[in-house]
Amino acid sequence: MSDDQKDVVIAAYLFEDLAKKDFDEVLKLAKDKAITVEGVVLVQKDEKGEVEVSETGDHLGRKGLKIGGGVGLVVGLFAPPLLAATAVGAALGGVTGKFAKHRLESGIGKKMDAALPPGSGGVIAVYDTDGADTVDKALVNAVKKSVAQIDGMSAKKLKAGLAEAQAGMGG
Amino acid sequence: MSDEAIDRTKLPIRRPQFQGKVERTLDGSQPDWDYVAPTSPPEGAPNVLLILTDDAGFGNPGTFGGPISTPALDRLAEGGLKYNRFHVTALCSPTRAALMTGRNHHAVGFGMVGEFAGPFPGYSAMLPKDCEPFVKTLQGNGYSTACFGKWHLTPDNMQGPAGPFDRWPNALGFDYFWGFLGGESGQYDPVIIENNKAVGVPEEDDFYLPDAMADKTIEWLHGVRASGSDRPWFTYFSTGCSHAPHQVRSEWSNKYKGAFDQGWDKLREETFERQKHLGVIPADAELTARPDSMPAWDSLDENQKRVYSRQMEVYAGFSENTDWNIGRVIDAIDEMGELENTLVIYIWGDNGASMEGTLTGTFNEWTTMNGIPLTDEQQLQLVLKWGGLDAWGTELMAPHYSAAWAWAGDCPFRWGKQVASHLGGTRNPMVVHWPQGVREPGGLRSQFTHVTDIGPTILDAVGIPQPTNIDGVEQKPMHGTSFTESLNDANASEHHTQQYFEILGNRGMYKDGWWLAWMMPRIPWKVDPETLKQYAPGVWDPESDPVELYYLPDDFTQATNLADQHPEKVKELQDLFWQEAEDHNVLPLLGGLTTFFGMTPPLPTQSRLTYYGDVQNVASGMIPRIFNHSYTISAELEIPEGGAEGVIVAEADHLGGFSLFVQDGKLKHTYSFVGVQEFKQESDVPLPTGSISVRLEFAADAPKPATGGEVTLYVNDEPIGGGRIEHTNPVRFTAYAGMDIGRDNGMPVDRSYADKSPFAFTGKVKKVVFDINPHLTEEHEEELHEHLHQALAGHAINA
Repeated sequence: MSDDQKDVVIAAYLFEDLAKKDFDEVLKLAKDKAITVEGVVLVQKDEKGEVEVSETGDHLGRKGLKIGGGVGLVVGLFAPPLLAATAVGAALGGVTGKFAKHRLESGIGKKMDAALPPGSGGVIAVYDTDGADTVDKALVNAVKKSVAQIDGMSAKKLKAGLAEAQAGMGG
Repeated sequence: MSDEAIDRTKLPIRRPQFQGKVERTLDGSQPDWDYVAPTSPPEGAPNVLLILTDDAGFGNPGTFGGPISTPALDRLAEGGLKYNRFHVTALCSPTRAALMTGRNHHAVGFGMVGEFAGPFPGYSAMLPKDCEPFVKTLQGNGYSTACFGKWHLTPDNMQGPAGPFDRWPNALGFDYFWGFLGGESGQYDPVIIENNKAVGVPEEDDFYLPDAMADKTIEWLHGVRASGSDRPWFTYFSTGCSHAPHQVRSEWSNKYKGAFDQGWDKLREETFERQKHLGVIPADAELTARPDSMPAWDSLDENQKRVYSRQMEVYAGFSENTDWNIGRVIDAIDEMGELENTLVIYIWGDNGASMEGTLTGTFNEWTTMNGIPLTDEQQLQLVLKWGGLDAWGTELMAPHYSAAWAWAGDCPFRWGKQVASHLGGTRNPMVVHWPQGVREPGGLRSQFTHVTDIGPTILDAVGIPQPTNIDGVEQKPMHGTSFTESLNDANASEHHTQQYFEILGNRGMYKDGWWLAWMMPRIPWKVDPETLKQYAPGVWDPESDPVELYYLPDDFTQATNLADQHPEKVKELQDLFWQEAEDHNVLPLLGGLTTFFGMTPPLPTQSRLTYYGDVQNVASGMIPRIFNHSYTISAELEIPEGGAEGVIVAEADHLGGFSLFVQDGKLKHTYSFVGVQEFKQESDVPLPTGSISVRLEFAADAPKPATGGEVTLYVNDEPIGGGRIEHTNPVRFTAYAGMDIGRDNGMPVDRSYADKSPFAFTGKVKKVVFDINPHLTEEHEEELHEHLHQALAGHAINA
């Protein structure tokens, strides 16, 4: 398996706190270097429908290796309105702006926001494929997951992967 | 005329002898004003309020130790009597038939639910004229009578404006009816029947059926008195609650937030302790164990626990709301100064709590009714899809909780609804309140009583004999017996000493304290063909089913099986059961499932149905049979200059249904497959104006259950678009939402026009034609017919 093989997973949750729990678990796995993560996004929608987005775009888990341009890529594919509504989004404004084009084209954040009812949550993660089983187990509380594979980390490929994963979420 | 002079044994009561004197003119004539008075009940006869709730367990209401707050039931119990050995049949229509007629359910054709008449006397769903409801007797003796809520005794194919109406409430003793004819109803968008007419879906934004039922009841009671009448009244308040769909506003369900997080195992233990503390079960009663087919609460994951907890919160809030509404009716009677001489009989549940939600519970009960089992994972995903857990209980879902909650609600007994062999299905709380008739309120009664006793008891209490003849038809004696003696004597002897039980092959035989439980070894919520095959003719031997024997005076909960110790008693009760079965039309066993085993009803002869004008609220069981094969829907429309929009024809809602409509100038079709998937097609071009014809053709892949197929849309015979439907509903879309021409009443099929509901067509729909048999060969038709009724059998078993 090539090192460039990435998985893109979208996971949906009935409960925002369980989404956070799994999100934290993925981060922990990355910190422990059990997996290599290009980026993870947590979407939490509270009972009133207010959306909060948390993310990390560091290439967690990869020893001594930095890939420029990947930072915030997953977040960057969210639609601006979603991010603008959050403190996290505002703080990342400079980074996300770099990928504005992809955000606008993808629309995945908007789709996910629309798909999630109040009180629920979602996790989107991009990680090296060899960690697929580990990530799958970490996202134990998701009620629905869809995974797409991409060969290499570019905005174009990532966008395609997200679109494929989104399609896999179905109705 | 004096009471004694009235012969009440034959109805209608004969006109009295004229006691005056008639001459050629008024000169010398003597009037007799009694001659022009209406028939009067016996002097001092009480009003009667009969309350029946639905799909509710012995261990649900707080009055009987359950977790659900029931202040109205509490109040009545404190001022009246609790009965803790009252029994029902274990299924909806059968209990109602027995309640109304005082006869055993099979004996009056209701061995099965009304939606599923069978070709044997015990399953015909045709109440016989020689077993008229006791209400007709009250009416014939001068009572004002009314029924509100669920009826469930009119055959499914007789619920339209063509009638016949002789099995609608008005023909069976009720002056007034307001409610629904079927087995269940949406709480937010019911199709209301008033007397012999469907008046449609209420249009008030905040309409809620249980609240409206109480309002209508109070309005009727006020109206009776406002007409100057001092006649006693009989009111049958028959709630759709707590049958699915479990729908209630969050202000009620949120009262129970977190109340069930301990799970069903612990809840059952808690309930059991409260029941003992309250004394509604004997101190030495044993708590029966959870069946192996249900999971331990502790084995569930976090998602399951939270979702299942919410299921029960909504059920509890739904149930409490209904008790609150019953309290409003009681308050109104009290305010009118009539509670003292009103006999109130409040029966909590027409059968035990329902396990028909399967183990997972379901966001839409019609998934299971259509024989479409969903995994836990799928259910969770669909909850997410339809609005998350906050939407459970709203109009977005038609939910039913997990079977394990039903089991917990049937505490301390085994099993629940459908299981006539065990007390979880058959023993329900009852409270009797009658200040003028009960001298020492607040007591407990433990005589064996049965739903067939209600009619005889009411007639006994009001002093009217069971008639031997009604409308010229000789009446069969009631099977039930009066328990009025127990109202003032806790130690009154039992009159109901023997009773058979049978629903869907599950059998029970009670005699003098002994209970033979002869359960078919089918898990009640399993209706897949593989399971049912075990009960096919020549395969199933009911004699070989395992038997259990209990002595109820010593064993309140059926905890200790004595079958091995008393084989002679087992044999005696088995023989007695077969005799009773023969005497009461119980045979053939499983009569309600005859179609599953090849005895299909005659093929429908009408394959082309035309709807002219503004037809609305076609009963869900009477819509064109478009299921499982090809069909065509054609419509002739007038589109004004500037275009039109709105629904041409629609059935049911987003949780299963179809809609052919015009939106944004285009012809569109949405098909919801039980709310699991939606399939949408639309025309490539806008519709022209003027007089046009449009058509939808569904070409099924094959005539088989749930078949997929291709949709083609036409305007003026030219194809203009289409697409595929992967799966179709095999049985039915709903039990309550109607089909409408020119609009989509109630919840919309396609939520894109929800803000314009009912999205009435702004042009003119001149007519709509369904061709439900356009492409079938005779061979296919026969084959499909059989499939269809197999599927219907699955529906029936869950109804």
